[in-house]
Amino acid sequence: MTRPPARDAPAIPDYSTTRRGRHISSLRVVRRPAAAVALIAGLLAAGTGAAGLAVASQTGHPATPVTPVGRTPLVPIPRGKWAAVPPSASRTVAEPVSVVIPAIGVRSRLVHLGTTAAGTLQVPASPAVAGWYTASPRPGEPGGAVVAGHVDSLQGRGVFFRLRLLHPGERVYVRRADGSLAVFRVTTVRSYPKAKFPTNAVYGPTPDAQLRLVTCGGTFDPATGHYLSNTIAYASLVS
Amino acid sequence: MRLSKLLATTAVALGVLGLAAPAASASPASSHGVGWLRLAHLSTNTPAVDVYLYSFGNSNARIVLKHVAYGTVSPYEQVPVGEYTVAMRAAGAASGSKPVLSTSLDVSSGDAYTVAGMGPEAGLRLQVLSDKLTTPKGKVLVRVIQASMHQERVTVTLDGKDLASQIAFSHVSSYAEVSPGTLTVHVAGPSESCTRTVQLTAGSIHTLVVLDGSSSLAVDDLIDGEGSKVVPNGAAQTGFGGTAPRPGAPLLPWVGAAAAGLFAAVGGAMFVSRRRRPAMHAR
Repeated sequence: MTRPPARDAPAIPDYSTTRRGRHISSLRVVRRPAAAVALIAGLLAAGTGAAGLAVASQTGHPATPVTPVGRTPLVPIPRGKWAAVPPSASRTVAEPVSVVIPAIGVRSRLVHLGTTAAGTLQVPASPAVAGWYTASPRPGEPGGAVVAGHVDSLQGRGVFFRLRLLHPGERVYVRRADGSLAVFRVTTVRSYPKAKFPTNAVYGPTPDAQLRLVTCGGTFDPATGHYLSNTIAYASLVS
Repeated sequence: MRLSKLLATTAVALGVLGLAAPAASASPASSHGVGWLRLAHLSTNTPAVDVYLYSFGNSNARIVLKHVAYGTVSPYEQVPVGEYTVAMRAAGAASGSKPVLSTSLDVSSGDAYTVAGMGPEAGLRLQVLSDKLTTPKGKVLVRVIQASMHQERVTVTLDGKDLASQIAFSHVSSYAEVSPGTLTVHVAGPSESCTRTVQLTAGSIHTLVVLDGSSSLAVDDLIDGEGSKVVPNGAAQTGFGGTAPRPGAPLLPWVGAAAAGLFAAVGGAMFVSRRRRPAMHAR
């Protein structure tokens, strides 16, 4: 069963609260107006000095005087979404330890998954727990973190039995070893015949932090003991 | 009247489905209808700026990055596909004031872009770079942005191999395919040089930015995209079939439903005939 992909606009993270992303310069992000004014003035002075130095030492470029700009006593609040460039965030986040999906009643610790001898994705030994594929990015890092769980056991329901019932917009929470929480928003839930598994969409590079929840679905083939389809929920980091 | 309305609704619904289905298969499900943008200030002698992102035809900014100084690169923002305008104003300038410079770009589904203010302040321009999002299996893609004005031309090597040779200020190299590992980046200009290590994992894409640091050259390592280091083969076997319908089993509910329906029909018929009989007697 295929659900149409999400068409709603993704939310813009609020940089005043989020801490993902990186910051090259030593400049710290300013939130308080008084500090902002002081910092801007200082930076302007420093920038002008540095630029003057640069111009003076550079013969190849026209020696244009650098005009100090933005010397307004108060920083006007612009219309639109206010955001400051986020402060330096460490690129590596802690390992994921558990996953909670309230919309479908999932609450599970996360075991570590690798690959099998055949090079396929290893799946959790227990149908009751989900696992994080350790060669995928950690949830919250740039890239698509992969979490897999069984749809059922030989007897009954598995941890991701209701994964196909997830809807775009619903939240997925991943707790990490340092106690921090990564919150994801489901964007799309789709089912694929296993012969047409979307390898690049699941394991390929992405520019931002995402999550892929993988389980089985479709018709069960008693001859092989496997389902013929995979259900995949795609989610993007909210905070 | 009612039927025609129903038919019309059905036709519209089918039309929507018909349109949606091919569109959905055109791009990976994860990135349908969205692209990614990041904004950067890479002009050494330009003071800090405020960067505004507008979607086409909307005068209210979608994102405003305040006080973006040289060397700053924002994280990627997911945005719906469409046309956007990026404008730079002096830090603290009124949002309604005339921008110092602006550029527009078309974001297509599943694509990523870096919009960077580059060049000397006198010739500052906003450059739109297309960022790659796929790597050859087990490989890493790396490119160089030369944003050092103090060192007009630099040569960047990765573990001794040339990545960008004599690349000029405000130029961008194309992506080079390299093998993963912890590699040494060396940047050499006419009078300054610097060395650092970068961790390049398989399936990732990087941009190395050469910057004028506080005392000497510096290199920043940006991640354009990251995926799984090892890509498993094929699908995931995540089910044992315990909840799957057994062969033959699907018939049972139908037989049950048919029997229940028959029972209800017979019961209903008896009920109706019993109710009618007294009425006939009364007449």
